Amino acid sequence: MSSEQSVEPGGGALGAPTAGTALLEVIGLSKAFSGAPALRSVDLTIRAGEIHGLLGANGSGKSTLIKILAGFHQPDDGRIIVNGDERPMPLGPRGLRDHGVAFVHQDLGLIPASTVLEHMALDSHGAAPGLRRISWRDERLRVEELLARFQVSIDPDALIEILSPVQRAMVAVVRAVGDQERAIGNARSLLVLDEPTVFLPRDEIDLLFALLRRLKSQGNSVVLVSHDLDEVLAVTDRVTVLRDGSLAGTRDVAGQTRQDIVELILGAPDEHVPHGKPTVRTDLPPLMAAEGLTGDRIQNLSIELRGGEVVGVTGLAGSGFEELPELLFGARTRRAGTILVDGREVTRPTPREMLDRRITLVPSDRKAEGAAQDLTVNENLALPFFGDHSGGWLIRWSALREQAQRICRRFNVVPPSVELTFSNLSGGNQQKALLGKWFQTDPLVMLLNEPTQGVDVGARREIFKLIREAVTDGMSALCATSDYEQLVELADRVLILQDGQVRHELHGAEITKDSLAALIYSEAAA
Amino acid sequence: MTAIDDTPATSTATSDAAAPPRRRFREPERFALIGVWIVLIVFFVLRVPDTFPTTANLSNMLGSQAVLLILALGLIIPLRAGDYDLSVASVLTLSAVIVAALNVTHGWSIWIASVVAILAGVLVGVVNGFIVARFGIDPFIVTLGIGTIVVGLSSIVADSRTVSGVDPVLSDVMLSKPFLNIPVDFYYAVVLCAIVWYVFEKTALGQRLLFVGQNRDVARLNGVAVQKLRWIGLICSATIAACAGVVYVGTTRSADPGSGAGFLLPAFAAAFLGSTTLRIGRFNPWGTLIAVYFLVTGITGLQLMGAEQYVQQLFYGSALVIAVVLSQAVRVRSLHKRVATAIPVSATPTTDLAEGENPTERSDS
Repeated sequence: MSSEQSVEPGGGALGAPTAGTALLEVIGLSKAFSGAPALRSVDLTIRAGEIHGLLGANGSGKSTLIKILAGFHQPDDGRIIVNGDERPMPLGPRGLRDHGVAFVHQDLGLIPASTVLEHMALDSHGAAPGLRRISWRDERLRVEELLARFQVSIDPDALIEILSPVQRAMVAVVRAVGDQERAIGNARSLLVLDEPTVFLPRDEIDLLFALLRRLKSQGNSVVLVSHDLDEVLAVTDRVTVLRDGSLAGTRDVAGQTRQDIVELILGAPDEHVPHGKPTVRTDLPPLMAAEGLTGDRIQNLSIELRGGEVVGVTGLAGSGFEELPELLFGARTRRAGTILVDGREVTRPTPREMLDRRITLVPSDRKAEGAAQDLTVNENLALPFFGDHSGGWLIRWSALREQAQRICRRFNVVPPSVELTFSNLSGGNQQKALLGKWFQTDPLVMLLNEPTQGVDVGARREIFKLIREAVTDGMSALCATSDYEQLVELADRVLILQDGQVRHELHGAEITKDSLAALIYSEAAA
Repeated sequence: MTAIDDTPATSTATSDAAAPPRRRFREPERFALIGVWIVLIVFFVLRVPDTFPTTANLSNMLGSQAVLLILALGLIIPLRAGDYDLSVASVLTLSAVIVAALNVTHGWSIWIASVVAILAGVLVGVVNGFIVARFGIDPFIVTLGIGTIVVGLSSIVADSRTVSGVDPVLSDVMLSKPFLNIPVDFYYAVVLCAIVWYVFEKTALGQRLLFVGQNRDVARLNGVAVQKLRWIGLICSATIAACAGVVYVGTTRSADPGSGAGFLLPAFAAAFLGSTTLRIGRFNPWGTLIAVYFLVTGITGLQLMGAEQYVQQLFYGSALVIAVVLSQAVRVRSLHKRVATAIPVSATPTTDLAEGENPTERSDS
């Protein structure tokens, strides 16, 4: 990657960070894995009382940087200064965790059957021997004070499992701050949040962000790692962008557009996938239709999916939009309604029946539902095709392997080695491989559930292009997502659900982020 | 599509010689157990040269383990689908006492008695599978309960005593016509091993079982009939356990309600130890065969050196624990190495590469 004007070594825009304003300074941090550089002399400065976004495509080095701070990896070179103290290298297995830096990972690390109080009382720093008696009365007072201070109204005795996703995230955040307070006294702490919003319903994210702002106002700092640029722009003060292991730049968010940041991440201008003319085949009967469909949330919903169109489905969390793909695929039990494929009713919809009728589902949770992570890429891509190529039960591995290689090449899966374990692919590449697998079955309809969740901007663009191409060739796609940007770019029409029913429908140019947000939230307010 | 060249590992895709993973020579860990086995053999040959490296001992070791091997081969079928079958040893017992009781007490033909015994095994498998698939209950508990019931039934069938004097025709088939000085039941076990290998590696059934064991949701969303396959797996293990029971009666000519009790742990030890070799992290038949004979080599050798009977429990028990620990450690290590060597670093301008060497770190997503 050639050096560009946008690169500002050392975060030059800041000027020299003076002692007292910088909570964390990382200078010239480098790390290579088996000779392959993952970080090249990266600088990062986190000021006291700021929310700082850390951005970059998959493989840009964000994870490596965070993992070095957390002590999972040891850096090859570089200096780390916390609160004015230079930390001796190597950092040791606890990283900066005993020095005022707390980490909250995507999975939050909470136990469903335990209470909020139990989690907060759990001394994750383990300094005291495990037999120290816990004074539950003191702990309760401490936890209540902590929750009150950050205006989090959650009952300390509530079980984690009854909390909403955003409440869980808030518990994890407050716990991390509380642990730091206990470990280092009342000094300011730095909280590192790694993709905290991926599993949160969009309309609740603001609650988490409000909490982060309260943390900030009390002198703490936050590092937010995220793929979601809208979120990052909404809440952060400054962002640092990494690209190919190097610093691409540090910017004040004020005055930056989404486009500026995307270009900084990609190192090239963002190209929108040309939407082109609508290719909807209104002359043909719908490829798939449902009438009076009722599931857990969905109520008496009717929908038609025609060849050549991408139908977006969205709404607030709980409105039922996230249920629709699985319901149509027969992966969830419907309570009522008929599903028709190519004009014929499917009397007992199951995933198998639907696959036989060339309906495919791309689930939202790749790790849990998309692929067997411990098996190879080849095996995962072969799964729907065992028994093909030979007309029976016998597997012809040579044919399947060639097919998997073809999929990987055609859909630009990197690295293109099909004998790798699937978990070795990054999120974007996993998704491209899985889409490629289903395109290989020549589907009539592709049901997509959050197809670009946790996928970086580059891969996301490619995925949109692939879907668009297939639709132009006559396929139909249903895309359930709460990502408005995606609907604007991809959908020909958008159904907005509320209480399990379609309340609004937008077509073509009517689909904008503003119109989507207005319709979705106006319903909520009403 | 951008110009991404095939790596050497993938460009030889035209030959159909190997099953999916082509890392035959890249992971020495896969052969570690065989290496330790050889060391063990050399050790015993040197230490007890008079009794260990003899035809009689070799023949005894190979033949005596056929029942265990057959049982373990049945066991790895539900294990591949992620299900524990704790009733296999009980089914072996039931099958053995049915053969003995019908033949000796009731005077039935040995062949009809054997068929009835195997059908009883099928029935136990059907019941196990029915409860697991229909009510969605963990087979660990279901097979534990059903297995205990089956032991009780065995006592009823055998009238709580040892039934001996089984028609020698059966033992003729199992033992008396040794080929290359090795009892024929060994060859039955090897044939079964080959069949299981073929089904696992070459058929859609085997691959679907694998996906069911790895991730039920993925299997289901890809159109695999998950519950049906789990049911089939449990029927296979019970049926094969019943066959092992018939072989058992053939080798001992008697059966009692305690016959199978000692087989459960060795079968699990062999299955798990087998999963640390040849195909790391996967239950595989040839690995299981190697594990069975590795275990018997150690036990026989130690006993020839003068160890007491209890060495058997010590050996099987530690083998199971060590196998489980090893399979975890080796798997993580080999994943590390594979990532480090297999990812062509910055092969393309696209940055969308899994980064780092730690396989558990799922990058930025």
